[in-house]
Amino acid sequence: MVLGMTDLFEGYDRGDFFDEVFAGDGAVRPGYRALVERLRDVTPEDLQRRERVRDGIFHAQGITFTVYGDDEGTERTFPMDLLPRVITADEWDVIERGVVQRVTALNRFLSDLYSGEQTALRDGVVPRWLVTSADDFVRQAAGIEVPHDAHCVVAGVDLVRDQQGTYRVLEDNLRSPSGVSYVLENRLAMMRVLPKAFARHRVRPVDGYGRMLLRALRQVAPPAAGETPRAVVLSPGAYNSAYFEHAFLARQMGIELVEGRDLVVDDQVVYLRSTRGLERVDVIYRRIDDEFLDPVVFRPDSALGVPGLVSAVRAGNVTLANAIGNGVADDKAVYAFVPAMIRHYLNEEPILPNVETYLLWDDEQRRMVLDRLDELVVKPVAESGGYGMLIGPAASDEEVEEFRRRVTADPRGYIAQEVVRLSRHPTLTGERLAGRHVDLRPFAVTGETTEVLPGGLTRVALREGSLVVNSSQGGGSKDTWVLDEDGVPATRNGA
Amino acid sequence: MLARLAENLFWAGRYLVRAEDSARMVDVTWHMLLESPSTETSRAWEDLLEVLQQGEGFEQWAGGDDDLMAVRPDDVVRWLVSERSNGGSVLASVGMARENARSVRELLSSEVWEAVNDLHLTLHRRDLPHELGDQPYDLFRTVKLHCQTVMGVALETMPRDEAFRFLLLGRALERAEMTCRLVSVRWEDLLADRAFQLAPTLLRSVGSLEAFRKRHRASANPIDVLQLLVLDRDLPRSVLFQLEAAGAQLARVGRAGRGPEGPSARRLGRAHAALRYRDAAELVELGVEDVLERMQVEVREVTEAIGEEFFTHAPTGALHAVGAVGGEGAS
Repeated sequence: MVLGMTDLFEGYDRGDFFDEVFAGDGAVRPGYRALVERLRDVTPEDLQRRERVRDGIFHAQGITFTVYGDDEGTERTFPMDLLPRVITADEWDVIERGVVQRVTALNRFLSDLYSGEQTALRDGVVPRWLVTSADDFVRQAAGIEVPHDAHCVVAGVDLVRDQQGTYRVLEDNLRSPSGVSYVLENRLAMMRVLPKAFARHRVRPVDGYGRMLLRALRQVAPPAAGETPRAVVLSPGAYNSAYFEHAFLARQMGIELVEGRDLVVDDQVVYLRSTRGLERVDVIYRRIDDEFLDPVVFRPDSALGVPGLVSAVRAGNVTLANAIGNGVADDKAVYAFVPAMIRHYLNEEPILPNVETYLLWDDEQRRMVLDRLDELVVKPVAESGGYGMLIGPAASDEEVEEFRRRVTADPRGYIAQEVVRLSRHPTLTGERLAGRHVDLRPFAVTGETTEVLPGGLTRVALREGSLVVNSSQGGGSKDTWVLDEDGVPATRNGA
Repeated sequence: MLARLAENLFWAGRYLVRAEDSARMVDVTWHMLLESPSTETSRAWEDLLEVLQQGEGFEQWAGGDDDLMAVRPDDVVRWLVSERSNGGSVLASVGMARENARSVRELLSSEVWEAVNDLHLTLHRRDLPHELGDQPYDLFRTVKLHCQTVMGVALETMPRDEAFRFLLLGRALERAEMTCRLVSVRWEDLLADRAFQLAPTLLRSVGSLEAFRKRHRASANPIDVLQLLVLDRDLPRSVLFQLEAAGAQLARVGRAGRGPEGPSARRLGRAHAALRYRDAAELVELGVEDVLERMQVEVREVTEAIGEEFFTHAPTGALHAVGAVGGEGAS
């Protein structure tokens, strides 16, 4: 039985936001025409049945993440919405160039800062005191040279789309960005759950990520490593929230997944303890934070790291990906200077703008911000994952006053931003589609050059009205389709 | 492969055997005693505790002396099967097998992992104290079947890579040691067992009674039991069989095949040779208990040698370079 033609979209409210599917006049945007047409033939019951198929796929494969501080069985699946996000070739062209430009400038900045002449500080592009006061500025990384300036072998740049539909950079995520495993698994699940809708589009594939990453890792190996350098994935272990992804990536690349205790440093060379004895390691894709890497240099109580690792890196015998000390460029106050870095190092105008950001040590900006606290977002500079922030319009008077005290006491510790009215995307909620806020995290991989995986992780805030898309706080995801250049739906049998 | 993972597989194999064999022995003892005079009861449980190396732990846990134990066979069963504080109980062995298997999930086929996990979950769902006190047959049967399922699935689904070989290596050494202990502890009684009542129980407790009857028909000679359980090359429970199985795996792991045999293969080879060219009568002459106790020591030394050769690699030089990190220049 086929129900009314427009059931799924019945009563759909675009709201006062940029809607990814429907333009202001209600017309379907170009990239979505074939998909919306296909959905008009689909009943809510049918979609719910497909949701169950999807859940079966994810559970059977144990595609889960760990929630800290949750007493219930700590593993949850990361819910994937059945409606994909579609990005046209033209839109993607802007995103791709913008991300490459940004990551290139950030890599240049990190090289300049840690092993170069510090031209950005010398020329006043970024205030020297701001950099040296950043929590994640790592003095122990000074003088470490990184092949091809590839400090960020993997970057997961978070983009949001404002009310005008402009993509803006929210965060750069240059340390250990996670989520790429969901990009690949979402795609596999979509091809099984909605094969026909998928076949009507020419979607750029994402399954080459493992090869892309391994190629980059080998390119950044020390020159002495020869033709086929040995790379490993270093994980904190099975209790880490992203362990599934660590194992997933090791499998995709066909390389070993190791923990700190599997590695040993002798005479500034890193070895892996194998059943055949000690085997030399050239590149480490590490998913451990800086401070746990090496108890000799950082936290002496860390059991996750490898004693002597930093000395091996310094001696040029092994390359860490990502490099040590990237966090300084993730500092939310340093973030405000990335457009200036792009002009300084590349002599280009930024392709992707920042979100309007206010620096609170500046008396004038701080005064303005304190006057408008209930309209703004305030974030601690060194946090990530959406923790510890104030969303003014949604906050109680007490919360606003609490942040007023904190900002006044520690102006360097916070930044303020205009609230971005994040774009919304139709998302399946029960029997209907409703608008939910989304962002986009493309993954940029840098070896000799920088490449961007087509698409990335679209995160969606599943709770009505919520702006927080983080998986730890009730977020879900969408498969993200980048259409091939000619963008038009392919005509295929059975489509 | 990674040394740590190889070690976990080795121990997963050992714990699985330990769980299965303990369940089998407790099962046989429990049922045998139903038709035995009560004077034999305490002796049978004492021997079993010794075979499973659980005597000392039990006495500490039960807090009693020898007299008390005679009247507490239920406690012995509980200690050996379901007691959580006993790291060697069936329940704990299964838990340890699962922990080790979980850490090497990437290397096992998913069906092997599921089979191990199933066993663990099954035991935790059941009312063990009640079953042990009332009708334990089904519980023991479940443990045995599940353990065998794990190995059956492994045999059918896993490539013969190092992961598989370390799993089997752990099993073989655990079983060799266990059979040595069993025969050694019971040998004196076997010799004194004129009516030949003990031998069938012993053979059944290692699942070999039928094989014995086929091989030796109506024999009531303890020498034949010795021949089968220690020296037989075809019976999968015999000591010699397991040493040869271990040797076959050792020959294909690590650097094996590239140059001279490693220290653990050499050590195992010597242990093997001590039995391979003997017959049962010679073992009796040499002293069965002595031979088997020495063999247990040798098997343990093989295990240690395996640890050194495959699981723990220390760098040859000193860690002299660590800490040579400056922090100047970037401020």
